[in-house]
Amino acid sequence: MKKIRPEEIFLRPLYKKGVFLIPAFLFMAVFLYYPFLQNIVNSFMKIRNLGGGAKGVNNPFYKNYAELLTDPNMRVALKNTVIMIFVTLFGEVGLAVILAMLVDNVKRGAKFFRIVYFFPIVVSATALGVLFNLIFQYDGGMLSQLVGEKTNWKELYPLTVMMTPVVWQYVGFYFIILVTGLNNIPEELYESAAIDGATRWQKVRYISWPMLHNVVCTCAVLAVTGALKVFDLPWVMFPNGAPLGKTWLTGTYMYYKTMQAPDIDYSSAIVFFIVILGVILSKVVNKIFKERDY
Amino acid sequence: MKKKVLSAVLCGVMAASVFPVTAMADGGVTLNVTTTFAGNESNVELYQDTIKAWEEETGNTVEDASATSDETFKARIISDFETGAEPDVLFFFNGNDSNPFVEAGKVVSIEDIRAEYPEYASNMKDDMIPASPADGVQYAVPFYGYWEGLYVNKAVMEAAGAEIPTADTTWDEFLETCQIIKNAGYTLIATSLAKEPHYWFEFAIYNHDSAKTHTTVPAALDDAAGEAWQAGLADIKDLYEKGFLSENTNTATADEVFQSFLEGKSAFYLDGSWKMGGIKEGTDDIDNFTVTYVPGNGERKSTDIIGGLSSGWYISTKCWEDEEKRDAAVSLVEKFISDETVSAFAGTATTALKNGAEIDESSLTSLEKDALAMLKDTTGITGAVQDLVTQDERAPIFDNMPQIVEGQTEIPDAISEMLEIIEENAE
Repeated sequence: MKKIRPEEIFLRPLYKKGVFLIPAFLFMAVFLYYPFLQNIVNSFMKIRNLGGGAKGVNNPFYKNYAELLTDPNMRVALKNTVIMIFVTLFGEVGLAVILAMLVDNVKRGAKFFRIVYFFPIVVSATALGVLFNLIFQYDGGMLSQLVGEKTNWKELYPLTVMMTPVVWQYVGFYFIILVTGLNNIPEELYESAAIDGATRWQKVRYISWPMLHNVVCTCAVLAVTGALKVFDLPWVMFPNGAPLGKTWLTGTYMYYKTMQAPDIDYSSAIVFFIVILGVILSKVVNKIFKERDY
Repeated sequence: MKKKVLSAVLCGVMAASVFPVTAMADGGVTLNVTTTFAGNESNVELYQDTIKAWEEETGNTVEDASATSDETFKARIISDFETGAEPDVLFFFNGNDSNPFVEAGKVVSIEDIRAEYPEYASNMKDDMIPASPADGVQYAVPFYGYWEGLYVNKAVMEAAGAEIPTADTTWDEFLETCQIIKNAGYTLIATSLAKEPHYWFEFAIYNHDSAKTHTTVPAALDDAAGEAWQAGLADIKDLYEKGFLSENTNTATADEVFQSFLEGKSAFYLDGSWKMGGIKEGTDDIDNFTVTYVPGNGERKSTDIIGGLSSGWYISTKCWEDEEKRDAAVSLVEKFISDETVSAFAGTATTALKNGAEIDESSLTSLEKDALAMLKDTTGITGAVQDLVTQDERAPIFDNMPQIVEGQTEIPDAISEMLEIIEENAE
């Protein structure tokens, strides 16, 4: 019989009670849950400057939420965010699935392609914003030079110009997750299929894709919630919703209302709205891409 | 064992990083300093050299958190004061942007500092030290002033066969000149309404009031100032509709349009005295550029300009109450406001020095000489009216300028929205 040491007797009950989870929980409570609850309170108060005290309760107290419904910029932000969600789902995750499958079937140079596709994610969004600003620049930009005349891409195709770099940057992120998922599929399945005479397409259709389903589901949830928070790259390329307020996203509009045109209680309401939207959408995505057991 | 040692070291580093940098450096004091001397500002290098020289002289050190002056920077400073993370020494605007921390008593008045240090800022003309709009008390020691003028690319003017505007050029004559340049295939005015609408905003309104009345914020849409603002914004819209502004003015960055001016694709660029350094750095032929008055209209003569001492050095109350930091903060500000340093920074700009700034004219570029000549013939000077409204108050106009010129936002609506925010803030 194994001899139990005294410290083990001391530790076991603590471990079972989850004592070691307390520091992490406290950290979350202080830096996430408390600010979030305070943010909800703030959304009902009158606060002009960031960090400033409240000058009483709004009249009526739900003023900011009523304003959210009528604010034309918020409507644009919401519409663009929904578009961004679809672009993210099909552009980032969809493209990543295709690239992952292709790289998985490559016999030589798979490592090289992994690095190439993953690379954009390690570059800061601000640097990418500057890079794409130069590509889409009106006078002397790369695209204007290619077509041979000065073209105001940002004014003509604002959403395309804004979303292209975002997709380009994050494809690599989902690509790596999916490639890892593909690597976890047991080789025996493919070998058995080969013995049964399965073609390459059949292996992808009946082995890779079903086995990858749960990973795709995780990617989809990450993509949807990520699309709600997209901020840095669009802000560098299209500050203040330029041009003419056509490129607002929920993230950029919230930042604008916090830092550029301070209206802290209103931006708190936007934050709360974004969180609620995020929870609802992730539930919907989970429902659609329901995880399966194989 | 190695893992345990490594874990202990990492834990120690993490614990140490939790504590802020303490006030004491090696044998001196560490001051947190925030200024606008960063990015493309003309005097960044000089600022850094001055800090370095002061550190060597005193043994103190500076934790510098300077950043380019824009609306985000202003919001950051206000937020730092609100959350108790204010700098010890701050170089910041002395207009309404400073009201939140002045009203909260977070900076020390010059009078209070002089009670302890009688010689503090004694080389400055007291009547030129701007008082805070919040309570009429002087807090910020002015450094050097600014002026705003119309920079001109001479090569473009010559190629288009147009005359450079002078002190006598009227607004209507300026519009005619613009048409000539446009017909020659050049962009007239390099400007980004998306990022920097404020220079044209200021002069467009100035053209509908005067040096005496310019710094009046409308109380109502139909009062004199309200009418001037509406007419001024309508002038900007007119310039846009005539195609006199950069083609991509609603999406361009400020750097993008400035570059087009430097490269000889645009004729005019309206900016402040600080831009002379940027032009000097961006061109091999400084003689190709000059600066002149923005053509006037109505009561405003072209020689009435916008300028003043809009920024200054503050010492925070938190720093002042720290016995160890107080001396160092006063010493640092005195270093910057000495006659010698102010002269080096000011160049052609105005100062509040009793002895005036020393200018070695032989070292000036042709552009700087043109600026001096322009300033000598000035008939009136006024501050910028935008400094009298806070960032959130001016947002409906500044951030909506593309929508205003496109006609998506009506001018009276934008001004009314600003008035509503002013009223709300006053409650």
